[in-house]
Amino acid sequence: MASTSFIDRRLGVFLALLAVVTVGVPLANTALSPESGLHVPTYMLSLIGKYLCYALLAVALDLVWGYCGILSLGHGAFFALGGYAMGMHLMRQIGSRGAYGNPVLPDFMVFLGYEKLPWFWHGFDMFWFACLMVLLAPGLLAFVFGWFAFRSRVTGVYLSIITQAMTYALLLAFFRNEMGFGGNNGLTDFKDVLGFSLSSDGTRVTLFVLSALALGGGLLVGRWITMTKFGKVLVGVRDAESRTRFLGYRVEQFKLFVFTVSAMMAGVAGALYVPQVGIINPGEFSPANSIEIVIWVALGGRGTLVGAALGALIVVAAKSWLTSAFPDAWLYALGLMFILVTIFLPQGVLGLIEKLGRGRREQPEPEAVEAEA
Amino acid sequence: MRILLTLTVWFGLLLASAASAQSLEDLARQLPEGSFNDRAEVVAKIGATGDDRAVGLLNALGEGELRVREADGAVIQVKGRGSKAVGYDPLTGDELGPVGSGSTESIRVNNSLRRAVRAAIGLLTLSSPDAGKRLAAANTAFAAPDPEQIEALDTAIAKEGDAAVRTAMEQARAAAVLASDAPGAEKVAAIGIVARRGGTDALTVLNPYRGDADAPVAEAADKAIAGIERAQQLWNVGQNVWFGLSLGSVLLLAAVGLAITFGVMGVINMAHGELIMIGAYTTYVTQQVIRTSFPGLFDWSLLIAAPLAFLVAGAIGVAIERFIVRFLYGRALETLLATWGVSLILQQLVRTFFGPSNREVGNPSWMSGAFPLGGLSITWNRFYIVIFAVAIFVGLLLLLKRTLFGLQMRAVTQNRPMASEMGIRTARVDALTFGLGAGIAGLAGVALSQIDNVSPNLGQSYIIDSFLVVVFGGAGNLWGTFAAAFTLGVANKFMEPFVGAVLAKILILVFIILFIQKRPRGLFPTRGRAVEG
Amino acid sequence: MSDEVRGLKGTQLYLNDVHRSFDGYKAINGLSMVITEGELRAVVGPNGAGKTTMLDIITGKTRPDQGRVIWAEHTDLTKLDEASTARLGIGRKFQKPTVFETHTVEDNLMLSLAGDRGVKASLLFRIAKAQKARIDELLELVRLTSARHRLAGSLSHGQKQWLEIGMLLAQEPKLLLVDEPAAGMTDAETMRTAELLRDIAGKRSVVVIEHDMDFVRALDCKVTVLHRGAVLAEGSLDHVSANQEVIEVYLGR
Ligand SMILES: Nc1ncnc2c1ncn2[C@@H]1O[C@H](COP(=O)(O)OP(=O)(O)OP(=O)(O)O)[C@@H](O)[C@H]1O
Ligand SMILES: [Mg+2]
Repeated sequence: MASTSFIDRRLGVFLALLAVVTVGVPLANTALSPESGLHVPTYMLSLIGKYLCYALLAVALDLVWGYCGILSLGHGAFFALGGYAMGMHLMRQIGSRGAYGNPVLPDFMVFLGYEKLPWFWHGFDMFWFACLMVLLAPGLLAFVFGWFAFRSRVTGVYLSIITQAMTYALLLAFFRNEMGFGGNNGLTDFKDVLGFSLSSDGTRVTLFVLSALALGGGLLVGRWITMTKFGKVLVGVRDAESRTRFLGYRVEQFKLFVFTVSAMMAGVAGALYVPQVGIINPGEFSPANSIEIVIWVALGGRGTLVGAALGALIVVAAKSWLTSAFPDAWLYALGLMFILVTIFLPQGVLGLIEKLGRGRREQPEPEAVEAEA
Repeated sequence: MRILLTLTVWFGLLLASAASAQSLEDLARQLPEGSFNDRAEVVAKIGATGDDRAVGLLNALGEGELRVREADGAVIQVKGRGSKAVGYDPLTGDELGPVGSGSTESIRVNNSLRRAVRAAIGLLTLSSPDAGKRLAAANTAFAAPDPEQIEALDTAIAKEGDAAVRTAMEQARAAAVLASDAPGAEKVAAIGIVARRGGTDALTVLNPYRGDADAPVAEAADKAIAGIERAQQLWNVGQNVWFGLSLGSVLLLAAVGLAITFGVMGVINMAHGELIMIGAYTTYVTQQVIRTSFPGLFDWSLLIAAPLAFLVAGAIGVAIERFIVRFLYGRALETLLATWGVSLILQQLVRTFFGPSNREVGNPSWMSGAFPLGGLSITWNRFYIVIFAVAIFVGLLLLLKRTLFGLQMRAVTQNRPMASEMGIRTARVDALTFGLGAGIAGLAGVALSQIDNVSPNLGQSYIIDSFLVVVFGGAGNLWGTFAAAFTLGVANKFMEPFVGAVLAKILILVFIILFIQKRPRGLFPTRGRAVEG
Repeated sequence: MSDEVRGLKGTQLYLNDVHRSFDGYKAINGLSMVITEGELRAVVGPNGAGKTTMLDIITGKTRPDQGRVIWAEHTDLTKLDEASTARLGIGRKFQKPTVFETHTVEDNLMLSLAGDRGVKASLLFRIAKAQKARIDELLELVRLTSARHRLAGSLSHGQKQWLEIGMLLAQEPKLLLVDEPAAGMTDAETMRTAELLRDIAGKRSVVVIEHDMDFVRALDCKVTVLHRGAVLAEGSLDHVSANQEVIEVYLGR
């Protein structure tokens, strides 16, 4: 069962499908005429692009939860920070085209009576700086938070609870107008990025392709990390933390590294998400959002990366459909999903698919005996 | 002797009103005429009549309900608008029938006239037979000191039998003296009297005299103000402590059930907040039934709702344990996720049946209003909630320490195999323990329905806080939860005046996050053999 | 370093007057012990005597309240954590066998091989020929060659014990702390374990905790009897078995 090739079956299949989507959807959007049955309207393209960002976020969470046992209930915060970093750049790109026509201050600052730009808004007029911050802001938060938490050996549900408290505190903080991030309206009314209008089809297609590439890249980075000895140590930490320590590994350093990388990945997802949906507001920090990410990963199959991405796509697609078709049913469905998946489907959908596939092809291998808890 | 005095006073009042009967009607007729200043004088005269009926007249004037009937120039009171307008005799209150629109003209009132009306009413009520009204009048006079009233106040003081009312009147008189051109020495004495009253309204009265031209007066005012401010700071601290205890009791209520399920059993129940919400909705339903079928029992509604809420939430808790949590023992993170799912379903169920908006849960009469405690005003509902929280806590302690169930519960959590060998039905104990934690959440819901919005989102606002309280206090230690709830409550309220409510909350969250990292097992860790490996 | 240790040439581990209590219960109470380089030592004692706690203190898992724990004549172990003591060369087998259940037997050994434990080194790690050979050798030694690709979680209790011993050896430690290795093994396996530990000793110091007296006899080494957190008797097995107190508190009858 030890799949030792870098691109194994499940990753290969998923990447191939992703490639088809990456090429096919933009083609169906631009090359086919709107009358054609296969035409993908631009709003649909952006919607799928948004799903791909969620999938990347799920991969990021799977890296820490599936492989290292760190159940972060605050990954939405890293996603939102990446989103805010990008949003701040887009905000400054508006320039004097805002409602108040102030060349430097975004509208909400003029409205709130700011005299000058707060110090932490400087530099965001430069694209490269914003990109750097997309990585640094969530990365730094994860690093500082993790440095404290892992060093003092906060684990299990305790860790989950304080990650939840972290995102809750950020939610409250970003709601405050005094924070300088637009309060509860957040950042919105973006115009263009790098001179390309955000409403043009070309920009939308580019963002879509970038999201798909980021997801593919995230999967490959995750795959690489988990294939190395480092990845095996992570799994060791998940299954028998003290054994890992007694072998001489500094567990906190391993956790810190993967937590920070994961947070950055989530930040990238957030940064690609914001220009496609056109807004970022404090609601992204809400604890409920972060827990929802967990169900994506659990449903897809944790500890597989591909499963996490798959789970995100399934759940958000189901959500879009249900909330418009049966608005009241969505929370029931989501709630049931949480319960049923944890009790009956610990390996997730991917585990189920692979089990079915294996069952048809051959008898179960003798070594696939379940590890006892 | 006393009776004799009261009788004379009554008799005197009767005589006075009889004598002024004629003139009150005359004065009322003068109300629409002349400039605002002239009419203010008329109002003052009406006040001086001491006639009982004058209060209604002046009130009507203040409310803008007094109008002149064009047909005969009579002053009448008109209630209602347009076709529904009805006229009344402003003095007797007799109904005069419908009033056609355009048949009357309003008597205009400006702010200074309104002030005069209030002062006159104040004077009139100073002689009201109702002590509460007299006290209110004295307080009004204090807040708006007017040298003109000194005489009236003197008369009232001489007649006053109630000590508290008399003190208030004396203070009002002192305030009036301060505003007059009385000699310095008299004013200094008056400052002393005002200062004894304390509080913000005394400060308002005294403040203008800080820089008084008369040096001794200014000095006395300065000293008195400093004294009052010192006392106020003390009361402020007291107030913060009280608010803190009140918040602490809310946290305790929300967290104590969790201290059982999470602290003692080690099961993460993310639906805990929703069980609180269920408790609140049980209260709502109970009150609805009482309102429609047994209105007389309304004051008992909470006491009736409490056991019901305990049972409803407890039953849901047992069901959660039997159908979900049981399959996930030893897998804490999975339990967290599954119970989160339960919380979403419960929320949506309530939303489906009761709608998404807030439901109105009433305060029984014994829980409305406030009572003073020194310089503090303590609302009855907050007061009872503190008592209720502490009572539940104590009850729970006793249950755990003194009953067979408590013993079994501790045995099962400490050493499951051994407890099972000794014949304890561990599965049953698990279910009941979980049910107990859930039931207590339901009780918390009854209390919280009195101070919070009863909506499907009620539970969500408590879940994070209650987990933090339990973790901060040290899981498995009920006293830790108790200490943590009140510490966090008081800390929060002491920070609020400086940084605002939201920032205070954020700071507390950050503090707890840091604290848990320093001491992962909380304030009062329960030590036990950590499992090797 | 301190006077007491200086001059004790060849001392691998030195414990002097170590105390540790849990909620007032004195789990370790004035424990002193010296292990020399290459020595094989058996530690016995009734349940709750403090044997496992002693290992916790040596490996930095538990801090002593008082007392000295010195490694190789000059390193104070009371200041170090588990990873640091492991890096110094202390290997530990737990009382309850602990292996990486979702890794293969081979990966379990690979993770235990001596070498740089840093994050960067782990990310860039490529297995060398010599290391592969070493894994083969260890698999042979602990008789798990045929199970090399199986998940460790699917092994029997005894096999897990063996695997853990193999992992211990893969670390190339200077001192092995082995907590009840024979539990769950057949008699034949037990004897083989004793043999193996005897072989290891000499090159490395070995401390074995065990209840099984036949096993201790097979080890044929100096025995320390622990009781209530302190040494009750020390010497050859025959010597301590003759001790009246030891018979009373431990051997019984
Ligand atoms: N972390 C801890 N917290 C609380 N008590 C502890 C802790 N570690 C050990 N103890 C207590 O210290 C005492 C000694 O335990 P220890 O495990 O060292 O005994 P032992 O000699 O290894 O026994 P056994 O033969 O059963 O393995 C026991 O009473 C145990 O309950
Ligand atoms: Mg032991």
